[in-house]
Amino acid sequence: MNVPSEHLFFLSAGLFSLGVLGFLVRRNVIVTLMCVELMLNAANLAFLAASRMHSTPEALDVQGPVFSIFVITVAAAEAAVGLALVIALYRLKQSVESDSASEMKG
Amino acid sequence: MSELLFYAMAVIALLGGLGVIFSKSPMGSVLSLLGSFFALAVIYLLAGFHFMAAVQILVYAGAIMVLFLFVIMLLNLGGMGTRFELSAAPLTRARSQIAAAVAAGVGLAGLIAVQRASLPRIAQGGAPERIDDINQIAIALFGRYSLPFQAVSVLLLTTMVAVLVLAKRRTRESGQ
Repeated sequence: MNVPSEHLFFLSAGLFSLGVLGFLVRRNVIVTLMCVELMLNAANLAFLAASRMHSTPEALDVQGPVFSIFVITVAAAEAAVGLALVIALYRLKQSVESDSASEMKG
Repeated sequence: MSELLFYAMAVIALLGGLGVIFSKSPMGSVLSLLGSFFALAVIYLLAGFHFMAAVQILVYAGAIMVLFLFVIMLLNLGGMGTRFELSAAPLTRARSQIAAAVAAGVGLAGLIAVQRASLPRIAQGGAPERIDDINQIAIALFGRYSLPFQAVSVLLLTTMVAVLVLAKRRTRESGQ
């Protein structure tokens, strides 16, 4: 594939800003979590693009994939805890809208 | 040819991201996100990350998405019917224009930063066909990055305990 690295970074920036947008505008906590996953994916893409940029056939740069593996692991942990929190919220409020938990709003 | 496939997959990934935000039901969001993940996996394959593409499919599409689907079905949030409907309602709420501006600003800042940075050109002859050599990844993981690797294993254990505590139904006998 002969695509310049910039285009991979552009895609990463686009995905990340979509994640930010969804995180800010959606009220449904599950969809909010999905938008966080989208942002983490964008970060992964940026790591891999940087790794591709610095790799030559003689010296491969595997730091990008290594960090991506760490990010994926943390994303899985985050999804598990987040969804457990969603279940706890649903038990408490019978709703998954983030507006339903606003007692601490002040 | 593979360049064309890359741009097609990039468009699909972005459309999937839009679908996550503007789908009416959480089920539609999950399926859009799944499409986005698959498109990203194809991009990883094209860019020479064969192992990362497999991990993307296995962990994201296989495990995390199933977790999301499981919770949506458990809480019965799928909504009626099976039609995939989009709605611009999230953007019409109060103050969501500010959020849209913030997101556009973040994206624009990223684009400008990439544009202005003088990225090193990929060496003549293009990038290597296969970048994520599993042997080298393993050597890095168990050598240079063995401390973060063990920290992550502690994180996973903590997560497991935390999820059990959070999601366990509290009974009257347990006192809380």
